[in-house]
Amino acid sequence: MYETISNFVAAFLTLSIFSFLYKDNPFYKFAEHLLVGVSMGYAIPVLYENVFIPYVYIPIFLNHDFIIIIPSLLGVLYILRFSKNLSWLARYPITFTMGIVGMGVPLSLHTSVLVQMRSAMLPLDNINTILIFIGTVTILLYFYFSKAHRGIYGKVTNMGIWFMMIGFGASFGYTVMARISLLIGRIQFLLGDWLGLIK
Amino acid sequence: MNKLIQIFQKMQSVDRRYIFIVVALSIIIPLLIPFNSKTYVTEPTESIYRKIDSFANDKSKAVLLSFTHNASTMPELFPMEVAVLRHCFERNIKVFTICWLPDAAPLVDYAINTAKEDYNVQSGIDYCNFGYRPYSLRIPIMLGMGENIAESVETDSQGRKLDNLPIMDNIKNYDDMNLVIDFAGSSSAIQWVMYARAKFGANVAAGITAVMVADNYPYLQTGQLIGMFRGLKGAAEYEKLVDVFASYESPDYPNGRPFSKEIIKETWVPITDDKIPYKYKKARIGMNAQSVAHIMIIVFILLGNIGYFLTRQKKKKIV
Repeated sequence: MYETISNFVAAFLTLSIFSFLYKDNPFYKFAEHLLVGVSMGYAIPVLYENVFIPYVYIPIFLNHDFIIIIPSLLGVLYILRFSKNLSWLARYPITFTMGIVGMGVPLSLHTSVLVQMRSAMLPLDNINTILIFIGTVTILLYFYFSKAHRGIYGKVTNMGIWFMMIGFGASFGYTVMARISLLIGRIQFLLGDWLGLIK
Repeated sequence: MNKLIQIFQKMQSVDRRYIFIVVALSIIIPLLIPFNSKTYVTEPTESIYRKIDSFANDKSKAVLLSFTHNASTMPELFPMEVAVLRHCFERNIKVFTICWLPDAAPLVDYAINTAKEDYNVQSGIDYCNFGYRPYSLRIPIMLGMGENIAESVETDSQGRKLDNLPIMDNIKNYDDMNLVIDFAGSSSAIQWVMYARAKFGANVAAGITAVMVADNYPYLQTGQLIGMFRGLKGAAEYEKLVDVFASYESPDYPNGRPFSKEIIKETWVPITDDKIPYKYKKARIGMNAQSVAHIMIIVFILLGNIGYFLTRQKKKKIV
């Protein structure tokens, strides 16, 4: 019974969102606003239950681990962004957050630069490595703006544009696939879970 | 020729809502009337299958499934998650789950409940859900699990101490929980590569939406990701692998058969018969609709381009 009702509600909201494809209408607006409201309404108690209680309330008030007061106060400073006079205090927790980002820099350099460079320096013994080599060099040259893209140099950088266009095309093709997948998921729900036409 | 140009001119000014209807029909019809089509398994999906399968019946190894997505990406990611869980349950592999977004917690339960219906598995013994952990604690937890999982995560989703759970026997850190699969609609698997792989040598794989595939390819090509589920196609491939090997039953292989490249190439799993439950072939049925929709889109692109060039030619002649 509960599942039937929830399926009806979900189907109504799905169709309300799809109705935008015809034209903007009150059903679409209702579903859109409901989504924002429900998301926030759901997240606040979940965060309270899963973050505030185990990481702030229990350590400070039950375990008397008073050192937790310092990061908690730092967290509270974020709220001061809404105050005109005290908004500067919100920079302190941001400083700590940036420190965490900094901690990731060496590892990020390793995974996103050094290992990538190593794998771009393989022996040119097959078509894939040759293509990767040509693509990497021509694209890097394209982004070198201190020399005018004319003559032979211009032709080489033009090749870099072609490599990038192929990359964008692949990326766009995958995007189309993802969007169609989402539509398939919703239609599978409408036809299967709601109407029971797919077994 | 003029008539043809007129037809194309009319087509170019057609109301886009008619195109929406055609795309919708190209998806609805294959879903209502499923047909058998071949699913080719690609290397990135196969690598994940082989890695998980190497843990079969090994109580000193485990897999961690990290859910970094919400319901909006479920159509692509949920079939992958169910297929991986099914594989683990079939092959008696310990599996852990963790999620980083508040609204992912019910999705983890839904995936586990969907897969475990057909298996005699128990929470805390065969699988364990760590539950929701705030995203802001992701890096400390990732790093902590490299030293000691039970100290880093402490409790499961039901509040039980991890140290007291039988599933934690022989499972201490990434040396034992040696495969992490991150399911996401973003590049969040890269964080696992940075903190779990680069620092502790954990094997990392990604289950991602098709939109994110191009962003993640460099990490696959460099071997930092051992494998990658690429959108709905990846899910369909894994469903097939589990059907062909892990859940295969015969007198010679009562508990599934080992992976073989020859078998997967030759075997064709019909999805129209009722032997396989709908939940285990959802991605493959979806891929049928996907293929038809793609053909329709290609036809529209071709027609649009032909129309564009014909009308341009006509304009040139007039000038």
